[in-house]
Amino acid sequence: MIDVILQAFASIVLDPVTLGLMLVGTLAGILAGAIPGFTIAMGVILTLPFTFGMTAIQGLATMLGVFVGGFSGGLMSCMLTGIPGTPSSVATTFDGFPLVRSGRPGLALGLGLWSSFFGGMISAVILVALAPQLAFLGLEFGPWDYFSLIIFALTITVSLSGGNITKGLIAGLLGLFAATVGEDEINGVARFTFGFDEFKQGFAFLPVLIGLFAFSQLLTDVEDDKRAKSPLMSQSGSVVKVEHRQAILIILKRWVNLFRSSFIGIFTGILPAAGGSISNILAYDQAKKASPNRSNFGKGEYDGVIAPEAANNATAGGALIMMMALGIPGDIVTAVMLGALMIHNIIPGPTFIQDEPLLAYGVFIAFFVAHFFMVGLQAFSLRIFLLVTKIPMYVLASVILAYCAIGVFALHNVVFDIWVMFFFGVIGYFMKKLGFPLAPMILGVVLGKLAELNLARASGISDDLLLFLSRPWSLFFLLMAVISVIFPFYQEARKDSLFSKFYVPMSMIVLSLPLFLMGSPVRMIVATILVLTGVYFLYKRTSSLKTT
Amino acid sequence: MSINKDTIVAIFLLLFCGIMINSSFDIEDPGYQGMKASFWPTIVLCLLSIMSLVMLVKSMMASTDSNLNSENTNSQNVFLKFKNASICFLMFILFLGFLDYLGMLIGGVLFVFGLLTLLGGFEIKKIINHLIISIITIGIMWSIFTFGLKVILPEGEILRIW
Repeated sequence: MIDVILQAFASIVLDPVTLGLMLVGTLAGILAGAIPGFTIAMGVILTLPFTFGMTAIQGLATMLGVFVGGFSGGLMSCMLTGIPGTPSSVATTFDGFPLVRSGRPGLALGLGLWSSFFGGMISAVILVALAPQLAFLGLEFGPWDYFSLIIFALTITVSLSGGNITKGLIAGLLGLFAATVGEDEINGVARFTFGFDEFKQGFAFLPVLIGLFAFSQLLTDVEDDKRAKSPLMSQSGSVVKVEHRQAILIILKRWVNLFRSSFIGIFTGILPAAGGSISNILAYDQAKKASPNRSNFGKGEYDGVIAPEAANNATAGGALIMMMALGIPGDIVTAVMLGALMIHNIIPGPTFIQDEPLLAYGVFIAFFVAHFFMVGLQAFSLRIFLLVTKIPMYVLASVILAYCAIGVFALHNVVFDIWVMFFFGVIGYFMKKLGFPLAPMILGVVLGKLAELNLARASGISDDLLLFLSRPWSLFFLLMAVISVIFPFYQEARKDSLFSKFYVPMSMIVLSLPLFLMGSPVRMIVATILVLTGVYFLYKRTSSLKTT
Repeated sequence: MSINKDTIVAIFLLLFCGIMINSSFDIEDPGYQGMKASFWPTIVLCLLSIMSLVMLVKSMMASTDSNLNSENTNSQNVFLKFKNASICFLMFILFLGFLDYLGMLIGGVLFVFGLLTLLGGFEIKKIINHLIISIITIGIMWSIFTFGLKVILPEGEILRIW
């Protein structure tokens, strides 16, 4: 094991090419995160074509650099201009911008930067500790359990992506359908090709992803004529000296907030589709509730900067846990990384860490190293950021559209892939206009083939469909899927309604059933705790109903 | 009962499902044991049809605030709203249509220059800037992919003859 870790360490830290690529990736990520209208996912997606010519570890390390850099890039724009660069830094604006305006820009940036660093480090430790354990758990899964897990990943993406649940489900199903076009992997039979030979290979994952996500986003960015022609930011801020030492001391004094926020970030990252955009607000809210200086929040409170920044960087580690352990992407970024691994003929799954230990530990180490680069590059990237903000959006969008075409072509050297990107770009653009979330569709495309393969394996082993309900893990994931579909209705329901009062306790009690069926002592204890907590909440809420 | 954008989308989706379900009957059955090739797509399409039907019913029962006759769907507003996106679509189709003749280098430069000028404006100073930006950016990208990543990008008939 130590041999593998040392080898992985050498392949990252002692290889100047990999280090150089990570450096460029982190810088690109910081800039992508800092520019409003660009997202971290877009940064990672646009990096993917460059990774075709690299080794798998170099490609993943570069993308991890973009991923980690992106989370901290958002804090520059939100603190210096009051405009969040990415949705994952929205809550940082609440206290970061007032702190800058009160004359402490160096401290504000320092707090954000080092909170991101510490949050990332905590999540990296949890990633290293938890991913192999979760993968070990994943070895228990049969095809029934995997199929149900994919269904759960899709339904929770739908329920957490916001908006209309019907539209979310339709988007997810459209993604699953898109993945069926072409020759099926089980029988090799052509499906929905309509006589076109190009369709036989199916839609490649990368053109679909770039089309749906990047192409449609660029079209949205240039939609408003006036905004497209004006510089990216009207207020571009100025170069400031970061107060590193003082910021570190303040953060370490508030270690409870740091750890709480980091764990919120990790947990949110593990949930499919719930990324930094949710975790930063959740962590901010919890920090505010727990703080004795609640009235200072919104006026430049240190805890209000530490919480969202620690949480959003910790989310990255959480999202990687699911990808590394089970091969299920936690968000769009990890879906892209999954695609990158597939391009190198590596299929992540529960056996990934065992089968590809060098690559797996390489990812862990790259995740650590990227955080050091992020801190080191901040001052330099601040200067570049101030230059980039003077460019109008239409210039960036036009150049990136051309780059998308070149990048997509590089995948298989066929022009058909560019047409696919264009087609899905148009679909993605109109879907966004019509209120359909794109995340479920992207996950549908990524997981569609895997779902079908596991369903085929399950039906090949046994015709008994009841196995989906009688196998504990499968039942657990299916119940989680049902609970996640109902979740948006719970959010919308009035707080005093019967449904909203009983949703949480009933979910706890119901979820304990498959855990009891699993039989192992630890899971029985967890199930008992779930039942007891559920019954306690049920009792409390029933008695409160009686009194009213 | 009202007809709004969602109603039209739901009807379109139902038509799409109908065509695809019909097409799924043509999927060959090689007679192997196990799950048939048409089974999974049929399940997905059936679920999609059900969800589209739910969307249709919900849209018809919704209030009329997003009605088709509202100000937002005025043809002039629609044109202005989608003007830039339509320019991008059109330029991209032209770029792809002429890729075999122009190649990625010339086609890319012309695409970026055309798009920049159509979106940014036709003043002389801007046109010169757009030309410089398009040549430099596409030149750099083309060089990275051709020489750095060893990707053979479409050369185009013009460069081939030349």
